[in-house]
Amino acid sequence: MSDFLLTQVINYGAPVFAILLFLGALGVPIGASVLVIAAGAFSQQGILDWPLAAFLGLVGVVIGDALSFGIGYYAKDWVDNRFGKSPAWRSAKESFEARAGLAIYLTRFLITALAVPINLIAGGSGIKFRRFMVYDSLGEFTWIILYGGLGYLFGSQWELVSEFVSNFGGLILGLAILGIGIWLARRRRRSIENTNEKVPEA
Amino acid sequence: METPTNPKQRSLVTGLVILGLIIVIFFGLRTVRAFREFRGHRPAPPFASEHIETDVSLIRDWMTIPFISKMYHVPSSILFEALEIQPHKNREKSLRQLNEEYYPQAEGIVLEKVKATILANQPQPTPVIPDTPVVP
Repeated sequence: MSDFLLTQVINYGAPVFAILLFLGALGVPIGASVLVIAAGAFSQQGILDWPLAAFLGLVGVVIGDALSFGIGYYAKDWVDNRFGKSPAWRSAKESFEARAGLAIYLTRFLITALAVPINLIAGGSGIKFRRFMVYDSLGEFTWIILYGGLGYLFGSQWELVSEFVSNFGGLILGLAILGIGIWLARRRRRSIENTNEKVPEA
Repeated sequence: METPTNPKQRSLVTGLVILGLIIVIFFGLRTVRAFREFRGHRPAPPFASEHIETDVSLIRDWMTIPFISKMYHVPSSILFEALEIQPHKNREKSLRQLNEEYYPQAEGIVLEKVKATILANQPQPTPVIPDTPVVP
């Protein structure tokens, strides 16, 4: 994350923190998780008022998520026209809708790199806004309390925590991609086997 | 309609598996390294608001003088004095900005001066009184 942003947070406090989280939720690459850990540490050092920073940060990120959900919602017609007839797209959409709550919740704090794509997909998939907001708010609350709490606990050594958490997030993302790849490969193999069984022997 | 033997589908699946493996190995190694560094440190006692930082290696050039002053419990006036800079209009500038503005020929000098000033002016730790009386 840009050092410039850290300087602005220590100068202007919780409102700037909230604006940055809002931008992060819209996909601006500011390293929001690192910022939350830093904010926790700054609170422990008496620079930020933690309850206020956590509250404003939560409001900022949830508004940002709602907006990116909205972008997905308004792009829905275009996506439906472009991919709507594809069985693969329909199947992916159904699979997502069945597990949307879990996907929204986990991508808020565990696989944060996928948060914005999930917001867009959720907006375009026909999931109700209220349902999205419930899981989103819960996930973002977990994110702020968990990451901010780690920063608070480690205080001036927050950079070590941040380094670990950033890499761990990357590892989880890799595992998720690998998992999806293996799942698709198995599904494809089953599909081929089923097709072969249906072909009558000559 | 796409058939199960669609080469595009096969490429996508293979690509995902390879990409996933690369990311897992790359971040896995970095996570292990970060964990080793992280494990060697203990957090400060929880809710210890009076914890005074003493390790000057934690000072970074994005920090401001008031922030460092609060972190190390050294008055900001002492730090500005050591840098021969007026506090007015400089309180919100980072050490890097101060360096670029006041010492453009000497890169990193502000950071080094601040570290040295902190070391020279840190509050002395409270002496620990022994529990048992000292026998002469």
